[in-house]
Amino acid sequence: MTLSTMLSTMGVGMLRTFAVFSLTLLGSLPLGMIVALLKKSRFAPVRLFISGYISIIRGTPLMLQLLVWYFGPFYLFGMNIGNWRFPALIFGFVVNYAAYFAEIYRGGIESIPVGQYEAAEVLGYTHTQTFMRIILPQVVKRIMPSVTNEVITLVKDTSLAFTLAYQEVFSLAKQISASQTSFMPFLIAGIFYFVANYVVEFAMQRIEKWMDYYK
Amino acid sequence: MILEMKNIQKHFGDHEVLRDISLSVDKGEVVSVIGPSGSGKSTLLRCATFLETIDGGEISYMGNCAVKTKPDGEVSYVDAKDLRRFRNYYELVFQQFNLFPHYSILKNLTDAPIHVQGRSKEQAEQTAMELLDKMGIADKAEAYPYQLSGGQQQRVAIARALAMDPEILFFDEPTSALDPELTGEVLKVIRQLAESHMTMVVVTHEMPFAKAVSNRVIFMADGVIVEQGDPEQVFDNPQEERTKQFLRVFER
Ligand SMILES: Nc1ncnc2c1ncn2[C@@H]1O[C@H](COP(=O)(O)OP(=O)(O)O)[C@@H](O)[C@H]1O
Ligand SMILES: [Mg+2]
Repeated sequence: MTLSTMLSTMGVGMLRTFAVFSLTLLGSLPLGMIVALLKKSRFAPVRLFISGYISIIRGTPLMLQLLVWYFGPFYLFGMNIGNWRFPALIFGFVVNYAAYFAEIYRGGIESIPVGQYEAAEVLGYTHTQTFMRIILPQVVKRIMPSVTNEVITLVKDTSLAFTLAYQEVFSLAKQISASQTSFMPFLIAGIFYFVANYVVEFAMQRIEKWMDYYK
Repeated sequence: MILEMKNIQKHFGDHEVLRDISLSVDKGEVVSVIGPSGSGKSTLLRCATFLETIDGGEISYMGNCAVKTKPDGEVSYVDAKDLRRFRNYYELVFQQFNLFPHYSILKNLTDAPIHVQGRSKEQAEQTAMELLDKMGIADKAEAYPYQLSGGQQQRVAIARALAMDPEILFFDEPTSALDPELTGEVLKVIRQLAESHMTMVVVTHEMPFAKAVSNRVIFMADGVIVEQGDPEQVFDNPQEERTKQFLRVFER
């Protein structure tokens, strides 16, 4: 196998890795906010459910969660869903990362001084306006470093997709390395993750800088 | 009558913080509230501005009742939507300013007029610039709160309140968080407002200021109004032993 065929085969894997990465963010960033808000719900059962969900997600390995999402429908409910591999993978990642983002959001929301809410209330803002105009922008700035950490972890976690035999860059590297008795695929995969994280860090730093216009 | 509070009661747990306090404020009146810390002054303002709910009594603005207590002791507020209408009548200036740090000074002054009161951007900005000019900080319009001194931030907070064109303005120790050399610039602004007959209730520890600007002084202790009257009367000729005792501390 020439280097260029190796690269093009692994390039497909890189695209798949990128698909898992971006779909996970797209789903979990907003879902995390919904979870964070539900955790402050007035209804005790809702709060209890959310707390349970967060502790289960944080208390079990993502790899196990992925297997449950993939095999669960069949073993638990006897359902046979066609083309379930990729959806199961994305559900697993989104539901997992939403729990972590929810905790970050919650910490951020709770760090905003109560005086901000009171000033907004006296000025006559509605609850929604207060959240969207006054609280959320300040929360976003405060949680940026923690979100960056989580996104970098996600870049590396995408390799767990191999659990469901999804052919992303890490799985392909293992296969090609075994069949070609070559160390090269691992090197390529390593460079790929490293560069991906470099890009993430660079992008997040730009965003943080852009939000540095106030303190 | 702009504000009428009748027989207000408020407790936190079994700690009675306000016991049967009544306070009315007429248009153009400047009322100072003085008293030892913990006597319930902030709580009184927070009840008047609906940041705290009362446990008994009645509050009306401009003759409209916002909360009343039925004979059986049940306290009933108007619903949330109507309560927001009442918020148009008053504004509150906090000890800690509570400016919005992510908004420029100009936006701090225009955001609520535009998004709460539905004014046009041009009109809101024009009003804001006039107010900043009056406060002597028109050159800071594009700055952010963290770039301003405490005294300037508090003047912005006052301007933000005035931008809403309230009937009455409450101040909760507006200079207590400031370095001593910065209190003067804030007191001067409040004094100008008093001269232009803005209706105000000012909780303060600045006795000479209270004496100079107010039409009426209220001395509170332990959740009750111990004494009230003209500034000359309360400061120079207090009737109650508790008042004399409190004022003696400030004479030194
Ligand atoms: N949210 C609260 N929970 C419990 N106690 C409170 C609360 N707010 C104020 N208090 C108590 O009520 C009393 C009056 O407080 P406050 O109105 O702040 O007094 P002042 O402004 O005159 O110093 C104090 O004893 C204070 O500890
Ligand atoms: Mg106080």
